[in-house]
Amino acid sequence: MQRRSILTGSFALLTAGLGRAAWAHHGWRWTEDGNFELTGVITATRLGNPHGILEVDAEGEAWIVEVGQPWRNERAGLTDDMLVEGVEITASGGRSADPSENRMKAERVSIDGTVYELYPERD
Amino acid sequence: MLTAFAAALQDTDLATALRQSFWVYPLVNAGHIVGLALLFGAIVPLDLRLLGVWRQVPLAAMSRILLPVAIAGLLLAVPTGALLFSVRATEYAAMPLFGVKFALIACAIANALLLRLSLAWTVHEHSELAGTTPRLQLAGALSIGLWLAVITAGRMIGYL
Repeated sequence: MQRRSILTGSFALLTAGLGRAAWAHHGWRWTEDGNFELTGVITATRLGNPHGILEVDAEGEAWIVEVGQPWRNERAGLTDDMLVEGVEITASGGRSADPSENRMKAERVSIDGTVYELYPERD
Repeated sequence: MLTAFAAALQDTDLATALRQSFWVYPLVNAGHIVGLALLFGAIVPLDLRLLGVWRQVPLAAMSRILLPVAIAGLLLAVPTGALLFSVRATEYAAMPLFGVKFALIACAIANALLLRLSLAWTVHEHSELAGTTPRLQLAGALSIGLWLAVITAGRMIGYL
Protein backbone atom coordinates (compact mmCIF):
# COMPACT_ATOMS: atom_id res chain seq x y z
CA MET A 1 0.00 0.00 0.00
CA GLN A 2 2.79 2.43 0.93
CA ARG A 3 4.91 1.36 -2.05
CA ARG A 4 2.01 2.00 -4.40
CA SER A 5 1.51 5.57 -3.13
CA ILE A 6 5.25 6.27 -3.45
CA LEU A 7 5.15 4.98 -7.02
CA THR A 8 2.05 7.01 -7.90
CA GLY A 9 3.53 10.11 -6.29
CA SER A 10 6.84 9.82 -8.13
CA PHE A 11 5.07 9.13 -11.41
CA ALA A 12 2.90 12.23 -10.95
CA LEU A 13 5.94 14.39 -10.15
CA LEU A 14 7.88 13.03 -13.11
CA THR A 15 5.09 13.61 -15.62
CA ALA A 16 4.40 17.05 -14.19
CA GLY A 17 8.06 17.96 -14.60
CA LEU A 18 8.30 16.53 -18.10
CA GLY A 19 4.96 18.09 -18.97
CA ARG A 20 6.11 21.57 -18.08
CA ALA A 21 9.31 21.15 -20.05
CA ALA A 22 7.34 19.91 -23.03
CA TRP A 23 4.91 22.81 -22.72
CA ALA A 24 7.73 25.31 -22.72
CA HIS A 25 9.41 23.91 -25.81
CA HIS A 26 6.67 22.45 -27.96
CA GLY A 27 6.87 23.89 -31.44
CA TRP A 28 9.75 26.23 -30.56
CA ARG A 29 12.65 23.81 -30.66
CA TRP A 30 13.89 25.18 -33.99
CA THR A 31 14.02 28.79 -32.76
CA GLU A 32 16.65 30.75 -30.88
CA ASP A 33 16.18 32.01 -27.36
CA GLY A 34 15.36 35.64 -26.78
CA ASN A 35 12.98 38.03 -28.47
CA PHE A 36 13.68 38.73 -32.09
CA GLU A 37 11.82 41.59 -33.73
CA LEU A 38 11.02 42.04 -37.38
CA THR A 39 9.19 44.91 -39.08
CA GLY A 40 8.06 44.76 -42.65
CA VAL A 41 5.22 44.67 -45.12
CA ILE A 42 3.11 41.57 -45.78
CA THR A 43 3.56 40.39 -49.36
CA ALA A 44 1.58 37.15 -49.19
CA THR A 45 -0.27 34.97 -46.70
CA ARG A 46 -1.01 31.26 -46.28
CA LEU A 47 -3.33 31.20 -43.31
CA GLY A 48 -5.30 28.34 -41.82
CA ASN A 49 -4.62 24.88 -40.43
CA PRO A 50 -2.18 23.32 -39.75
CA HIS A 51 0.20 26.30 -39.80
CA GLY A 52 -0.46 29.92 -40.78
CA ILE A 53 2.37 31.93 -42.31
CA LEU A 54 2.98 35.44 -43.56
CA GLU A 55 5.51 36.34 -46.22
CA VAL A 56 7.01 39.64 -45.11
CA ASP A 57 9.33 42.03 -46.93
CA ALA A 58 11.60 43.59 -44.32
CA GLU A 59 13.85 46.21 -45.91
CA GLY A 60 14.21 44.22 -49.08
CA GLU A 61 14.69 40.87 -47.31
CA ALA A 62 12.10 38.14 -47.79
CA TRP A 63 11.02 36.62 -44.48
CA ILE A 64 8.54 33.97 -43.37
CA VAL A 65 6.67 34.76 -40.16
CA GLU A 66 4.77 31.87 -38.60
CA VAL A 67 1.54 32.94 -36.98
CA GLY A 68 -1.08 30.79 -35.27
CA GLN A 69 -3.80 28.43 -36.41
CA PRO A 70 -7.27 29.96 -36.83
CA TRP A 71 -8.22 29.44 -33.18
CA ARG A 72 -5.01 31.01 -31.90
CA ASN A 73 -5.16 34.02 -34.20
CA GLU A 74 -8.77 34.66 -33.33
CA ARG A 75 -8.06 34.34 -29.62
CA ALA A 76 -5.43 37.05 -30.02
CA GLY A 77 -7.91 39.28 -31.85
CA LEU A 78 -6.47 38.74 -35.31
CA THR A 79 -8.79 38.01 -38.20
CA ASP A 80 -7.75 36.89 -41.68
CA ASP A 81 -8.79 40.21 -43.22
CA MET A 82 -6.32 42.02 -40.95
CA LEU A 83 -3.46 39.95 -42.33
CA VAL A 84 -3.39 40.89 -45.98
CA GLU A 85 -0.91 42.04 -48.59
CA GLY A 86 0.33 45.58 -48.01
CA VAL A 87 -0.15 45.65 -44.23
CA GLU A 88 2.84 46.85 -42.22
CA ILE A 89 3.50 44.51 -39.35
CA THR A 90 5.97 44.10 -36.51
CA ALA A 91 6.46 40.54 -35.34
CA SER A 92 8.27 39.62 -32.15
CA GLY A 93 9.22 36.09 -31.19
CA GLY A 94 11.71 33.35 -31.91
CA ARG A 95 14.03 33.57 -34.88
CA SER A 96 15.09 30.37 -36.61
CA ALA A 97 18.35 29.10 -35.13
CA ASP A 98 19.53 28.51 -38.68
CA PRO A 99 21.13 31.82 -39.74
CA SER A 100 20.67 31.01 -43.43
CA GLU A 101 16.90 30.80 -42.96
CA ASN A 102 14.86 34.00 -42.82
CA ARG A 103 12.10 32.54 -40.71
CA MET A 104 10.61 33.32 -37.32
CA LYS A 105 7.73 32.24 -35.17
CA ALA A 106 5.71 35.12 -33.80
CA GLU A 107 4.83 35.30 -30.12
CA ARG A 108 3.04 38.56 -30.80
CA VAL A 109 2.44 40.86 -33.73
CA SER A 110 1.62 44.53 -33.79
CA ILE A 111 -0.31 46.30 -36.49
CA ASP A 112 -0.92 50.05 -36.33
CA GLY A 113 0.26 50.28 -32.75
CA THR A 114 -1.98 47.49 -31.44
CA VAL A 115 -0.29 44.40 -30.06
CA TYR A 116 -1.87 40.99 -30.59
CA GLU A 117 -0.59 38.29 -28.24
CA LEU A 118 -0.45 34.87 -29.85
CA TYR A 119 1.36 33.21 -26.97
CA PRO A 120 0.44 35.15 -23.81
CA GLU A 121 2.27 32.62 -21.62
CA ARG A 122 5.54 33.44 -23.38
CA ASP A 123 7.33 36.71 -22.54
CA MET B 1 -1.64 18.09 -64.00
CA LEU B 2 -1.23 16.94 -60.43
CA THR B 3 -0.82 20.56 -59.32
CA ALA B 4 -4.05 21.51 -61.08
CA PHE B 5 -5.89 18.71 -59.30
CA ALA B 6 -4.30 19.66 -55.99
CA ALA B 7 -5.22 23.32 -56.46
CA ALA B 8 -8.82 22.42 -57.26
CA LEU B 9 -9.00 20.10 -54.25
CA GLN B 10 -7.59 22.76 -51.96
CA ASP B 11 -10.24 25.23 -53.13
CA THR B 12 -13.22 23.01 -52.39
CA ASP B 13 -15.64 24.13 -49.69
CA LEU B 14 -14.75 21.09 -47.59
CA ALA B 15 -11.00 21.72 -47.67
CA THR B 16 -11.53 25.42 -46.99
CA ALA B 17 -13.80 24.69 -44.04
CA LEU B 18 -11.20 22.35 -42.57
CA ARG B 19 -8.45 24.88 -43.11
CA GLN B 20 -10.42 27.53 -41.24
CA SER B 21 -11.89 25.30 -38.55
CA PHE B 22 -10.95 25.56 -34.92
CA TRP B 23 -11.43 22.03 -33.62
CA VAL B 24 -12.48 19.86 -36.55
CA TYR B 25 -9.02 19.82 -38.11
CA PRO B 26 -7.25 18.43 -35.01
CA LEU B 27 -10.07 15.91 -34.59
CA VAL B 28 -9.59 14.70 -38.17
CA ASN B 29 -5.89 14.55 -37.42
CA ALA B 30 -6.56 12.48 -34.30
CA GLY B 31 -8.83 10.22 -36.36
CA HIS B 32 -5.99 9.64 -38.80
CA ILE B 33 -3.74 8.64 -35.91
CA VAL B 34 -6.39 6.30 -34.46
CA GLY B 35 -6.72 4.70 -37.90
CA LEU B 36 -3.02 4.12 -38.33
CA ALA B 37 -2.73 2.92 -34.73
CA LEU B 38 -5.40 0.29 -35.32
CA LEU B 39 -3.86 -0.72 -38.62
CA PHE B 40 -0.31 -1.01 -37.32
CA GLY B 41 -1.32 -2.38 -33.93
CA ALA B 42 -3.25 -5.22 -35.55
CA ILE B 43 -0.91 -5.96 -38.42
CA VAL B 44 2.26 -6.28 -36.32
CA PRO B 45 1.13 -9.33 -34.30
CA LEU B 46 -0.16 -10.92 -37.50
CA ASP B 47 3.13 -10.23 -39.27
CA LEU B 48 5.06 -11.62 -36.34
CA ARG B 49 2.99 -14.80 -36.61
CA LEU B 50 3.85 -14.94 -40.31
CA LEU B 51 7.49 -14.62 -39.34
CA GLY B 52 7.10 -17.58 -37.01
CA VAL B 53 6.42 -16.12 -33.59
CA TRP B 54 3.70 -18.07 -31.73
CA ARG B 55 3.99 -20.75 -34.41
CA GLN B 56 1.71 -23.14 -32.53
CA VAL B 57 -1.21 -20.76 -32.88
CA PRO B 58 -2.96 -21.44 -36.22
CA LEU B 59 -2.63 -18.54 -38.61
CA ALA B 60 -6.36 -18.66 -39.31
CA ALA B 61 -7.19 -18.01 -35.66
CA MET B 62 -5.10 -14.86 -35.57
CA SER B 63 -6.03 -13.46 -38.96
CA ARG B 64 -9.74 -13.88 -38.23
CA ILE B 65 -9.39 -11.23 -35.51
CA LEU B 66 -6.48 -9.08 -36.62
CA LEU B 67 -7.25 -8.67 -40.30
CA PRO B 68 -10.67 -7.02 -39.83
CA VAL B 69 -9.17 -4.65 -37.25
CA ALA B 70 -6.29 -3.76 -39.55
CA ILE B 71 -8.67 -3.15 -42.44
CA ALA B 72 -10.91 -1.01 -40.24
CA GLY B 73 -7.84 1.04 -39.33
CA LEU B 74 -6.95 1.48 -42.98
CA LEU B 75 -10.53 2.49 -43.80
CA LEU B 76 -10.29 5.20 -41.14
CA ALA B 77 -6.78 6.32 -42.04
CA VAL B 78 -7.41 6.78 -45.77
CA PRO B 79 -10.33 9.24 -45.76
CA THR B 80 -8.95 11.20 -42.79
CA GLY B 81 -5.61 11.31 -44.60
CA ALA B 82 -7.30 12.55 -47.76
CA LEU B 83 -9.01 15.31 -45.76
CA LEU B 84 -5.74 16.36 -44.14
CA PHE B 85 -4.06 16.33 -47.55
CA SER B 86 -6.78 18.46 -49.10
CA VAL B 87 -6.20 21.33 -46.65
CA ARG B 88 -2.77 22.12 -48.14
CA ALA B 89 -2.88 19.94 -51.24
CA THR B 90 -0.57 21.99 -53.45
CA GLU B 91 2.07 22.27 -50.75
CA TYR B 92 1.99 18.52 -49.96
CA ALA B 93 1.87 17.49 -53.61
CA ALA B 94 5.12 19.41 -54.14
CA MET B 95 6.91 17.48 -51.38
CA PRO B 96 8.89 14.45 -52.61
CA LEU B 97 8.24 12.86 -49.23
CA PHE B 98 4.55 12.70 -50.01
CA GLY B 99 5.16 10.76 -53.19
CA VAL B 100 7.35 8.42 -51.18
CA LYS B 101 4.61 7.87 -48.62
CA PHE B 102 2.02 7.10 -51.32
CA ALA B 103 4.39 4.69 -53.04
CA LEU B 104 5.07 2.92 -49.74
CA ILE B 105 1.33 2.59 -49.04
CA ALA B 106 0.80 1.13 -52.51
CA CYS B 107 3.60 -1.38 -51.91
CA ALA B 108 2.24 -2.35 -48.51
CA ILE B 109 -1.24 -2.94 -49.89
CA ALA B 110 0.17 -4.83 -52.88
CA ASN B 111 2.16 -7.04 -50.51
CA ALA B 112 -1.01 -7.82 -48.56
CA LEU B 113 -3.05 -8.59 -51.67
CA LEU B 114 -0.35 -10.80 -53.17
CA LEU B 115 -0.12 -12.69 -49.92
CA ARG B 116 -3.87 -13.15 -49.89
CA LEU B 117 -3.65 -14.71 -53.36
CA SER B 118 -0.71 -16.94 -52.50
CA LEU B 119 -0.86 -20.69 -52.06
CA ALA B 120 0.87 -20.51 -48.70
CA TRP B 121 -1.84 -18.26 -47.29
CA THR B 122 -4.67 -20.35 -48.73
CA VAL B 123 -3.24 -23.51 -47.22
CA HIS B 124 -2.75 -21.99 -43.79
CA GLU B 125 -6.04 -20.14 -43.72
CA HIS B 126 -8.05 -23.29 -44.37
CA SER B 127 -6.26 -25.51 -41.91
CA GLU B 128 -5.11 -25.62 -38.34
CA LEU B 129 -1.50 -25.78 -39.46
CA ALA B 130 1.21 -24.62 -37.14
CA GLY B 131 4.53 -23.15 -38.21
CA THR B 132 5.24 -20.95 -41.19
CA THR B 133 6.81 -20.97 -44.64
CA PRO B 134 9.35 -18.75 -46.41
CA ARG B 135 6.57 -17.16 -48.49
CA LEU B 136 4.67 -16.18 -45.35
CA GLN B 137 7.84 -14.95 -43.66
CA LEU B 138 8.68 -12.72 -46.61
CA ALA B 139 5.25 -11.14 -46.55
CA GLY B 140 5.42 -10.61 -42.78
CA ALA B 141 8.80 -8.93 -42.90
CA LEU B 142 7.83 -6.70 -45.82
CA SER B 143 4.59 -5.74 -44.15
CA ILE B 144 6.20 -4.58 -40.90
CA GLY B 145 8.95 -2.73 -42.75
CA LEU B 146 6.62 -1.02 -45.20
CA TRP B 147 3.97 0.14 -42.70
CA LEU B 148 6.70 1.37 -40.36
CA ALA B 149 8.16 3.37 -43.24
CA VAL B 150 4.71 4.77 -44.08
CA ILE B 151 4.24 5.98 -40.50
CA THR B 152 7.71 7.51 -40.42
CA ALA B 153 7.19 9.30 -43.72
CA GLY B 154 3.85 10.59 -42.48
CA ARG B 155 5.39 11.97 -39.30
CA MET B 156 8.18 13.63 -41.29
CA ILE B 157 5.64 15.45 -43.46
CA GLY B 158 4.37 17.36 -40.45
CA TYR B 159 7.85 17.94 -39.14
CA LEU B 160 10.11 18.97 -42.01
